[in-house]
Amino acid sequence: MKMSDGSLKRVGAIAKKEIVEFTRDWRTIIAIIVIPLLMFPLLFIMFPVLLESEAAELDALELSIIIQTDALPENLGENISFNGIDFSVELLPNLSSLSVPGNDLERVRNSSTDAVLRLQTNEDVWSYAILHLSTSERSNEARNRILNVLSDWEDSEVRERIEQGGMDVNSTLDPLRWDGEISDADVATSGEQSGMILSLFIPLVLAIWTYSSAIQPSIDMTAGERERGTLEALLCLPCTRMELLLGKWLAVATITGVGVLLQICGLLFAIGYLASSSFIGVPQLSMISIGLIVLSIMLFAIMVVAFELALAMRSHSVKEAGSILAPALMLILFPALFTQVINLDGIEGFWFAIPVVNILLALRELLMNRVITEHVLIWAVSSVIYASLAAYYASRQFNREDIVTSLS
Amino acid sequence: MSKSLLSIQEVTKNFAEVEALQGISLEIYSGEIVGLVGSNGAGKTTLLRLMAGVYKPSSGSVNLSNGKPVASMRQELGVVPESTGLYSRLTAWENIRYHSRMHGVPDSIAWARTEKFAEHLDMKDSLSRHTKGFSRGMRQKTALLRALAHGPNILLLDEPTAGLDITSARTVRALVRQLRDEGGTVIYSTHQLAEAQQVCDRIVIIHNGEIRADGSPTKLLQDTNTQSLEDAYVSLTLDQARTRQEDNGKESAFSGWWRRLFTPRAPDTTLEVNEDE
Repeated sequence: MKMSDGSLKRVGAIAKKEIVEFTRDWRTIIAIIVIPLLMFPLLFIMFPVLLESEAAELDALELSIIIQTDALPENLGENISFNGIDFSVELLPNLSSLSVPGNDLERVRNSSTDAVLRLQTNEDVWSYAILHLSTSERSNEARNRILNVLSDWEDSEVRERIEQGGMDVNSTLDPLRWDGEISDADVATSGEQSGMILSLFIPLVLAIWTYSSAIQPSIDMTAGERERGTLEALLCLPCTRMELLLGKWLAVATITGVGVLLQICGLLFAIGYLASSSFIGVPQLSMISIGLIVLSIMLFAIMVVAFELALAMRSHSVKEAGSILAPALMLILFPALFTQVINLDGIEGFWFAIPVVNILLALRELLMNRVITEHVLIWAVSSVIYASLAAYYASRQFNREDIVTSLS
Repeated sequence: MSKSLLSIQEVTKNFAEVEALQGISLEIYSGEIVGLVGSNGAGKTTLLRLMAGVYKPSSGSVNLSNGKPVASMRQELGVVPESTGLYSRLTAWENIRYHSRMHGVPDSIAWARTEKFAEHLDMKDSLSRHTKGFSRGMRQKTALLRALAHGPNILLLDEPTAGLDITSARTVRALVRQLRDEGGTVIYSTHQLAEAQQVCDRIVIIHNGEIRADGSPTKLLQDTNTQSLEDAYVSLTLDQARTRQEDNGKESAFSGWWRRLFTPRAPDTTLEVNEDE
């Protein structure tokens, strides 16, 4: 398709007007810039902070438990006290097993005690059980602290018994050891490792966010115009329907592109902050890989945005468009999640011909700097076909005569 | 005689089973105001949309004087649709500029024309305001300025005074007449006969998708042998007017079934007669 200078100017004018009008709504700025930029930093930084404060609160709790035993080792009792647990000792009840709650069931359920530790000696072996209420934070915390104390006590018991047997504790407990730094033995470069990590979430974010952030502008620029009655005046102008589609596509793609870019920046910032920049670095990519990544994203954007514009243009109202486009997110979400678990080593070529899956797999491979000619050819050709079909479908919708009528 | 600007030949337009226009033929000449008069659903808006190239005729042709289809020569047209079609987050001038840029007119020329007509319409101070808070009258005037900014040969106005107060309606009518006096051609759709009589040089009465009369107000009175345009209109449109149905009304079988499933039945209105009373 050859476009004249006037045609390009009209497409540019449509796109510019759409972007200007769209960004004048403050809610749009929140949705397109603020939320994508802050979503991952808030999730990755605020969430651990919240978890830490909750954990600190639990650590500060003074707990009380009951120990039922026939003989409590002295150092075990001391260690339990050191861990902020107040305890009283009772005799073991006569039960078929230590785990059977028996008469203690109500005491734990009504929180008169946080947990009950039952400990029984049988010559050299100790048996134990902890009665607790798994739906109570206090009871769970009591159980965890008891388990930690018992584990330490068991460890010291094991060491003591090995020494008493005249054996070396370290060589007995740890007869097989890794020599040197584990990370030194990985032959993948840090750039390749970064690419591997990025390939696990960037395609996913890209796919989901590209689709979801294009919903609002797509609807606003098509069904919205139809509902507000502005489309008729636009259709009376000396521009073709194809120019109209291209202008609107350009505007939606720009808005979506900004949103996706900001979200990925926010994600990388959050990861860098969490891992003090050592967790992830710059992936090692060849120029061919970078070029193919850009191509794949472009083809994906053409397909997705054209598809959304077409569906929205088919709709008579904003409400109708929303009720079609929102559930259609599943068409992206499921393949995106599915693609994450596909093993790329020795993958069959047909995977690269499946819509949506092909681009996501291509991105995963390319982020790991793997350029496999057969795969590239399959995803490039199939994506061009899908993008063309989506664009053709969109152009058909834009050429419908009834788009000038609205429900109002 | 003035030269023909727009030629409509045997145009029929169908929407699903509805024949919105039936064999319409019309010549629009330079320098006249043509009033399209008819009830709601008569086919006025459909005819205007065909003239603007938004619709394609099911049969027949709508061509400009050079023989080219109107859709390829939209620079010649200025259109004010019924809904005005203004973008509320843009200022009045931005709305006008957007359309004139699409017509390929430089901003300076569009601004000069807009300033000139804005003075007439008392809109000069409102050009830099966002159209969101505009009254119906201001919206209509802005749409008119937008349609004029690129200097069209033919102006298509769909109910331009609908919902306007008396003063605004009078201003719009005065501007339309001024445009005609300056050599412009205006096609003016309205369902008010009095307004058509005031403004138009020629009145085309459309009823149920057909042209029932075409001529000057005086000619219409002579042809129908009546004393007023209202009487003339009534005598020409005795058959019952159809209701408006421009959307093709397509609904899938499932959608129809689903809609009916959640639509309560109309109450039984049969009255029980009490014989004792």
